[in-house]
Amino acid sequence: MRLTKKAKRAIMIGLIPALVIYIGFAIIPIVVSFYYSFMEWNGFSEMTFIGLDNYKQLFKDHLFWNSLKNNIYVLIASVGGQISIALAIALLLNRKLKAVKFFRTIGFMPVVLSSVVVSLTWSLIYNVDDGLLNVVLRSIGLENWTMNWLGDENLAMLSVSVTIIWQFIGLYMIIFLAALQNVPKEILEAADIDGASEWTKTWKIIIPTIKNTIFAALVLAISGSLKTFDQIYVMTSGGPNHATEVAAMYMYTKTFESLQFGYGSAISVLIFLFSLAIIIIANKLMGQKAI
Amino acid sequence: MLVSVKKVILSSLLSLLVFGLVACSGESETGSDGGSKSEDGKVKLTLWETWTDDTPDTRLLKERVEEFNSSQEEIVIELRGTAHNEYRTKLKTQAAGGELPELFLVWPGAELEPLVEGGVVEPINDVREKYEGELIQATTLDDYAIDGKQYAIPASVSYTSIIYYNKELLAQAGYDKIPDTYKGFKEMIEALKAEGITPILAGNKPKWPLQSVYISTIADRFTGSDYLDKVLNGDEKFTNPKFIESLAVISELKEMGAFNEDINTIDEVEARDDLLKGEGALFLSGSWSTTAILGALPEGMEIGAASFPSVEGGEGNPEVISGISSIGIAINSKLSDDEKAAAKKFLEYFYDEKLYSGLLANGTLVPADVPLPEDASPLFTDVYNITKGGVAPVYDGVLPAELTTIINNGLQGIVTGSITPKELAQQMQDELDNQ
Amino acid sequence: MRIKKVTSKRFFIYLILSLFAIANAYPIVWMVLNSLKTADEFALDRIGLPEGFAFQNYIDAWNTANFGSFFVNSLIVSLVSVVITVFLGALAAYFLSRFQFRMSKFIYGFFVFGLLVPVHATLVPMFILMSKLGLLNTHFSLILPYVAFNMPISIFLLVSFMKSFPKDIEESAIMDGAGILKIFWSIILPMTRPAIATVVILSFINNWNEFVFALVLINDPALATLPLGLQNFAGQYETNYVGQMAGLTMALVPILIVYLFLEKELVKGMTAGAVKG
Repeated sequence: MRLTKKAKRAIMIGLIPALVIYIGFAIIPIVVSFYYSFMEWNGFSEMTFIGLDNYKQLFKDHLFWNSLKNNIYVLIASVGGQISIALAIALLLNRKLKAVKFFRTIGFMPVVLSSVVVSLTWSLIYNVDDGLLNVVLRSIGLENWTMNWLGDENLAMLSVSVTIIWQFIGLYMIIFLAALQNVPKEILEAADIDGASEWTKTWKIIIPTIKNTIFAALVLAISGSLKTFDQIYVMTSGGPNHATEVAAMYMYTKTFESLQFGYGSAISVLIFLFSLAIIIIANKLMGQKAI
Repeated sequence: MLVSVKKVILSSLLSLLVFGLVACSGESETGSDGGSKSEDGKVKLTLWETWTDDTPDTRLLKERVEEFNSSQEEIVIELRGTAHNEYRTKLKTQAAGGELPELFLVWPGAELEPLVEGGVVEPINDVREKYEGELIQATTLDDYAIDGKQYAIPASVSYTSIIYYNKELLAQAGYDKIPDTYKGFKEMIEALKAEGITPILAGNKPKWPLQSVYISTIADRFTGSDYLDKVLNGDEKFTNPKFIESLAVISELKEMGAFNEDINTIDEVEARDDLLKGEGALFLSGSWSTTAILGALPEGMEIGAASFPSVEGGEGNPEVISGISSIGIAINSKLSDDEKAAAKKFLEYFYDEKLYSGLLANGTLVPADVPLPEDASPLFTDVYNITKGGVAPVYDGVLPAELTTIINNGLQGIVTGSITPKELAQQMQDELDNQ
Repeated sequence: MRIKKVTSKRFFIYLILSLFAIANAYPIVWMVLNSLKTADEFALDRIGLPEGFAFQNYIDAWNTANFGSFFVNSLIVSLVSVVITVFLGALAAYFLSRFQFRMSKFIYGFFVFGLLVPVHATLVPMFILMSKLGLLNTHFSLILPYVAFNMPISIFLLVSFMKSFPKDIEESAIMDGAGILKIFWSIILPMTRPAIATVVILSFINNWNEFVFALVLINDPALATLPLGLQNFAGQYETNYVGQMAGLTMALVPILIVYLFLEKELVKGMTAGAVKG
């Protein structure tokens, strides 16, 4: 839209309040945290400037890289699992079905649930002795498939990822549902008249229309999975033996247990840069010019 | 116009950013959090504590504070509770911002050290003198002392390593008590297994139990109680075969099938619940579990208590159990002299015989020499008696946080088989050498 | 033949949705059932049904978590933050999505950065900042960070939603001489209702459950929020799980109300807006 003087002033006035609060209470604290990353500081004594030492140490820290690898696990699960399942469910729920409201509501429930409850219930499902999963596998004769889902270092991350997928499907489901309301009914009706199949309508009309939202969901899934903390913290505390430790958790341990505020900050800088890089790559791959 | 919009936005945001960065890059100079005379001339002191859950102990501790407040006119103690698991995050954040309350709970050893180094806690040697040799042994008081300076008085002692056992299941395997030697202990494990009973229930998801409950005492059996200090001073090494042997106890028990299969995925409380459900014979835990076990004991079940057996060639005294003091209250070093005097007056009132006998009556072990109540349960009496043999250091109470993280995770790894005892010992030594 | 095919397809859809519903309902049902067990019952059986109804847990939970005052604080902080976030966020999103000016992409990207900020890294600086501003121990010390941290996702979702509107929507309004804010208020905002409902729900949940900022920024119990109280069930070695489940069940009620209240907005198509009018 072409802009008049008046319009420009309106834009300025409209943007500044949001920017001021955002800069003041999100950007400034994180920039200060970046500043700490050049310091050695235990929080109780004086800080000392140590330049890039924290970063040098971080590059050699295999526990950090291990935690980042686990984040990638979560990322793949979130992007692959959450978004596709959520989109499928949202498409189903966007039809004229009975009890659609019920399914919508119940589908959203995991999102609002306390991570304590999620952890307690999923631990009961995954338990190696009497967990629901193994009990079911045994009862259908798949004894060999029973596993120590959270206790096996090679499986724990997979199990945790499934829980994370499960918990946030509802989030993307409602985002997609909202977007689906934007698909013009006239076009769908026209397609019906042309005798287009459901499949064609979904892929040729619906998905392209909500492409922006799918990309937005993708960005949310990427940024969310690199910040993952709560679910894993209560479910496994990062164990066994670091097998499910993610970067935000490693940062938290370093900062508040080992009292290395500078080192912890350096970790968060890398988490930040890493997620930025992934989003930029995703942006390129999707051919978006959104960001 | 386009330029001016841009300029205005950019410059105002930039100045906001610069202002903000300058504002919060330094530490805050303000002193303690609201410690001041209230309008009625009373000295008001805020005490940060973790007594948020409703138990006989927390009720008693809060009652003592109330009693102090009504006992005199000049001082008011205000309680600020934060749940135990989150307390340290809050304390450390506010300490980093230079704003600690007048009084706050602290834990001894490795946790106290940075506070002392940063000079945020006040030494209270004059308070210590009133207790030393009178109500509390000097060695116990030393838990809260660093370099000859006392920083808090303990209210309780947690003995971290007690074997609770189901008498009926043990009898099924032909035992009426826990054997005195580790060799006999292993035979008992085999006998229990032969009966189809899970020998030991453990919940190591939170990572500290195998270290605090198991290794702290087991390693002491092998190495003796002064080993840990020597290692930290550089006179000994974690790669000492005796220490490796103690770590190997965990892998040996694991390989024997002594533990429940879900050891790494349940927590201590779940393991204890399994003991009460009769799902296994032994449960190793701290003295804190006594009250909980007694509280939920099903009818007809009998639980006994014992300490870990002696080991062959061990250099430690098989009577001792690892233990650590807690519920110590530190005084903020930034207080005025009046406030410090008031704080000390409070501490001397708070830590008295009434508190100690009250805690003991609740089933909590205390550092003071007060008599066991006559109506104490047999289980608590057992626990009380086996903790009279002396105290060994608890690993996470002594080790720097980094090393605690390594041994905690390493012990989970020993259970899953991803690391050997020798490798873990080497990792710990490497970390120590790096510091 | 055709009818049969349609029915079996329907059946299949309902089957999938029902499995999905069961998987999602289980934890909530579990939470409510266990909130009705006694502590001993819970210790001996975490999976089965309660023997009776231990409503006492709810009374204990009310007291332990300090619902009486924390609940009100949570409501105030959450609602005020949501209103500010959504209003400022929608306005910003409108300008960023419907106008092309030189800084628009930069500012939008700048907001999206906020999605990547790990919250735990900001605790110490946030505490110092609030202390310098003299805002510690006020509702503002929570409202401001909550608005700031919900701004990115709000703007992000709203922009992506508003961008998908056809370009010519405002044209006719402009022809009629409507001002920019008028267009925002009477055309764009009503069309954005589904996305606004999403944003309100998400930021309300975030604020309602937010814990770490409340932990470090609030010392005065008169200002504390519910998540702080809900931690009170855990001691060093013990956790009162049944009380905690009762507390969590009660804490869920406001979120459910907000969700159910806005849920119908989520699926109101654009025809429901003022566009056609």
